[in-house]
Amino acid sequence: MIEILIALIVFMPFAGAAAAYVLGNGNGSGAESKRDTAAVAVTAAEFVLSILLFAAGKDMQGFSLPVLFTEGLVFTLSGFRRTYCLVTALMWFGTTVFSMEYFRHERRALNRYFLYVLMTLGATEGVMLSGSMMTSFVFFEILSFTSFTWVIHEENEGAVKAGYTYLFIAVIGGLILFMGMALLYHAAGTLDYDALSAVFRDHSIAETGEIYAAGVCILLGFGAKAGMFPLHIWLPKAHPVAPSPGSALLSGVLTKVGIYGILMSVLSVFTASFRFGLTVMAAGVITMFLGALLALFSVNLKRTLACSSMSQIGFILTGLSMYMLLMAAGEHHAAYMTLAGSMLHMVNHSMIKLVLFMAAGVVVMNIHVLTLDEIRGFGVKKNALKAAFLLGALGISGVPFFNGYISKTLIHEGIVEAIEYSEGLSARLPGLLHVVEWVFLVSGGLTFAYMCKLFICVFIQKNRDLERQRAFDADHRGMGLCSTLVICIPSLFMIILGNPAIIRALGSLMSGDDAVRGFAPFTLGNLKGGFISLAIGAAVYLVIVRKIMMMDGKYMDLWPAKLDLEDLVYRPLLTRILPGIFGKLAAFIDALPGNTFFVKTVPFILTLTGRTLVSLPDTLIVLLRKSIVRERAVQRGNTEKVGRLRVFARETYDAAAPLVSNFSFALLMTCIGIVVIFGAVIYLILTRM
Amino acid sequence: MSSAVLILLPMILPLAAGFFVIEAGFKDDLKRNIFIEAAACLTALLVFCAIFLAGSEPITIFSFTRGFSVTFRMDRMAALFAGMISLMWPLVLLYAFSYMAHDPGRNSFLGFYLMTYGITLGVALSADLITLYVFFEMLTLVTLPLVAHYRDHESMYAGRLYAAYTIGGASLAFIPVVMITLRSEGGTFIYGGAITQPLSGTMISILFLFGFFGFGVKAALFPLHGWLPKASVAPTPVTALLHAVAVVNSGVFSVMRITYYSFGADILRGSAAQDIAVFAAAFTMVFAAVMALKERHFKRRLAYSTVSNLSYMLFGTALMTPAGFLGGLSHMVFHSVIKMSLFLCAGAFMHVTGKEYIYEVDGVGRKMPVTFGIYTAGALSLTGIPLFCGFISKWQLFTAGASAGTKAGYVGVAALLISAFLCAMYTLTISIRAFFPQVMNPAGNTGTGTKVWTKEEIREADALMLIPMLFFAALNILIGIFPGPVMGFLGMIANGL
Repeated sequence: MIEILIALIVFMPFAGAAAAYVLGNGNGSGAESKRDTAAVAVTAAEFVLSILLFAAGKDMQGFSLPVLFTEGLVFTLSGFRRTYCLVTALMWFGTTVFSMEYFRHERRALNRYFLYVLMTLGATEGVMLSGSMMTSFVFFEILSFTSFTWVIHEENEGAVKAGYTYLFIAVIGGLILFMGMALLYHAAGTLDYDALSAVFRDHSIAETGEIYAAGVCILLGFGAKAGMFPLHIWLPKAHPVAPSPGSALLSGVLTKVGIYGILMSVLSVFTASFRFGLTVMAAGVITMFLGALLALFSVNLKRTLACSSMSQIGFILTGLSMYMLLMAAGEHHAAYMTLAGSMLHMVNHSMIKLVLFMAAGVVVMNIHVLTLDEIRGFGVKKNALKAAFLLGALGISGVPFFNGYISKTLIHEGIVEAIEYSEGLSARLPGLLHVVEWVFLVSGGLTFAYMCKLFICVFIQKNRDLERQRAFDADHRGMGLCSTLVICIPSLFMIILGNPAIIRALGSLMSGDDAVRGFAPFTLGNLKGGFISLAIGAAVYLVIVRKIMMMDGKYMDLWPAKLDLEDLVYRPLLTRILPGIFGKLAAFIDALPGNTFFVKTVPFILTLTGRTLVSLPDTLIVLLRKSIVRERAVQRGNTEKVGRLRVFARETYDAAAPLVSNFSFALLMTCIGIVVIFGAVIYLILTRM
Repeated sequence: MSSAVLILLPMILPLAAGFFVIEAGFKDDLKRNIFIEAAACLTALLVFCAIFLAGSEPITIFSFTRGFSVTFRMDRMAALFAGMISLMWPLVLLYAFSYMAHDPGRNSFLGFYLMTYGITLGVALSADLITLYVFFEMLTLVTLPLVAHYRDHESMYAGRLYAAYTIGGASLAFIPVVMITLRSEGGTFIYGGAITQPLSGTMISILFLFGFFGFGVKAALFPLHGWLPKASVAPTPVTALLHAVAVVNSGVFSVMRITYYSFGADILRGSAAQDIAVFAAAFTMVFAAVMALKERHFKRRLAYSTVSNLSYMLFGTALMTPAGFLGGLSHMVFHSVIKMSLFLCAGAFMHVTGKEYIYEVDGVGRKMPVTFGIYTAGALSLTGIPLFCGFISKWQLFTAGASAGTKAGYVGVAALLISAFLCAMYTLTISIRAFFPQVMNPAGNTGTGTKVWTKEEIREADALMLIPMLFFAALNILIGIFPGPVMGFLGMIANGL
């Protein structure tokens, strides 16, 4: 029963994708609406199925399909997987309903869009339910390529450029992951998550150099999809150009696919790995801070949200690294709290970004621009949109009583605990972790600052162009009923998930440990951390954003386009440095004295030998003609007898000439000649050995 | 029918038929095509009969003194190579009929093309080193008129280069051929090594390197790879079947034969010669991939890609472990499938549009969706994306490299990684350009998907071209999803069963 349910969840969207494509390609006026209905129906069915799985799969094990691919496909169930399966289906359902209205006026290439959206749904569910790294990888690669078409959907110059970046980051991520898997497979002999955790039950096994190398590869590979530094470069480029429902999914779910892989390898292999924990921490902290900083600089609505996603991924990774450090220190209770915090932050971030990107989508579908100065005042009179966006902003900023606060507090708690207990691991670690804590708080503050910037710009301030403001104000909704529902209902999750009781239940379900049940979010110490962050954020907003980043009431574009890692490092590396190195190398080899021997002298000798050998038969024949079979003018009708030998020779020659004088024969001769020479040499060697 | 006839007939038939086509000629194109296709199909049929019916005992045709003999045998390794090319030849001939339909020299072209089939079967079926060597040389000679088919300056130059490289290489390989033949039971291939009389370690290393680089010339190993990109001036059926599969794989096949069946992996493992071989292969992978990225000519880019991928196989071979051998074998088979579809797509594009550079593919994908769809599947497969067969062999090579436990193995894995990434860059950019043109169209507006081929009306390639392409694409996906049976068979070869 459960097998059928899982198989339906994973493979049904693929069939649905094909069906929708066929329907949409049909003739007749109703083709498009049929396809749209089919797409919504598939996502709705998926949603229902995943609710069933969430409810039914409590004690179920999952199943495997051993014949496919090299290692077979394995699906497993756990609290985390069931939850995320549901979150994924919910997000797909919401965005698909929203896309009905979003694409109302931009009806190009929608067949393709829905085909790949539904395929990506199947692949994402495949990753979320996967029980082995190989299964994760297979679906991971599928979704990498299917989601590429969202990025490139608009097909303008920016979209194509972003598409290239996205694709190549996806490819390089996939390959690095591939290599990591090969190393891990070699070391452990299996890629099944459960079997791996059995192999690495003794944590010291995971500390060898090879496993660490495998871990770094896996981190980079999955991290590329998650938007982790230094492979984050696609995020700020792809999101602004992708259609908004697509950006919501890219940011809300596909980054989590990357996190899922990292999470699973942490849980099964690197549970208590100190070294790997530090590596993840470094990546997480840089990503967290850099994303927040970039978001602050951005004056493009969707790019800000994209950088924000990157930053939140950093928060999650930091939480994971604290889990590992605490496990290494032997503090299991605190470790599981932090783990639950990271997992909850994943769910929270998915829901928040669903709402925020769809809200951004409302802006795009109405006025087709995203620059802050132009969209300023768009939502002043749109109360539903304003409320939804506000809830999302409060959630992501970590304001108490909203969802982000709780998960961030759990992670913060993890850092504080790690400071306390990590002295046993390394004497310098507590000092380092103090820095991490402050970066964490400052990044949280920056989150608050850029969300203030967005909210105040779009929903409070009035546009500088009064004509425009009047046009904005004329429309009180900006979206249809369905879209209003799918934006507003998820926004309520910010409040629901802000409820400690619900969070405790969900947290213990996902982490599979009851540690989080004793968590009290509103103690003085926890509130202090939250308020420090908010205070920093308010200060940054008031001082930096309002005083420094705004000039004459306009938002200045301070986006550091020149500091693009892609243009500064990756592209030159591939287009100039690598070919340059090889060019130099080739030139160097050319210049070697030995090379002259191989490239010039040897061919020369071979050619000379060959030519000599080739001309031998000719010479022979010429000699023969000059001597034995010398030609004479034989006149027609002349009965003079010619010697038999001569006739024979002449006929032979006539027959042989075309054969002998062609190129292949010459080469055959060359070959035989060389063979003879070498044969003689070998013979000499052998007889004297 | 006795085994001897079963094994000899498939070699003789295409040779005789090809010779007949060249010498007698056909006035009517259709009749000739049917004749050639029938001969090829019959040969393929005979090959499969031989695979299933002929025993695995060697069949000696004639012998010189001291064990120098011409001997054939149908063991699993031979069955693999012979079966593989037999699956491809009749199909690619269909493509060749369409591609060469208006070429003035099509008679002799198709005749030589058919003869090459017989010779390649000879390489596959030979049971000892001397026989292998003889057919290896004959392969060069019989394909020479095909490479230089257009007879213009460029083609003739490519032909000369091809001949000089491969014959030179083979003469290098002749040294170990003779040495091993003298030091074993007539050089007959035995899994695990045929050498019966002891040879010093240094001598073995030197001989192995001679053999590796000598036969490796046909597998386009750096620094002896130069002929392959040049030879892409030949008609597409040649570059596809011969320079992506038959000829170059003969090189790899021969290297595998001498490594695993003559020297034996055990005495070579851990030697300096092995390290040199692995490094050379690893270097070629990356080097050729970089060159492919720089290349603007469609077929030359694919040719460089072949150079890179052939070194994957040589890398697997040079690991000297059953896992590595399995990696090499599987990449040999799967790369053939993939590269066939890529080259056939490139050929269809060139045939239909008359263009041959990559910047000219902008927007063609919209007009030839099937062709470029197949191309994209091939490109993804070559990169090593799951669902496609390239993934399976790459996985095998990666794990084999990692488990070899030597420094060279890790270097090779890193090289594989870099080259696979470059591979994505040089193949997928073409797909993207074809479907999402990025250049400005003559009107000056950046194409928003409406930019299409403006110069002339382009249609999809014709059915004769599409059938082989579709076949290989289907094979590509089918093996990618259900690799079990194929990998099982290859595993038996790799483990000497």
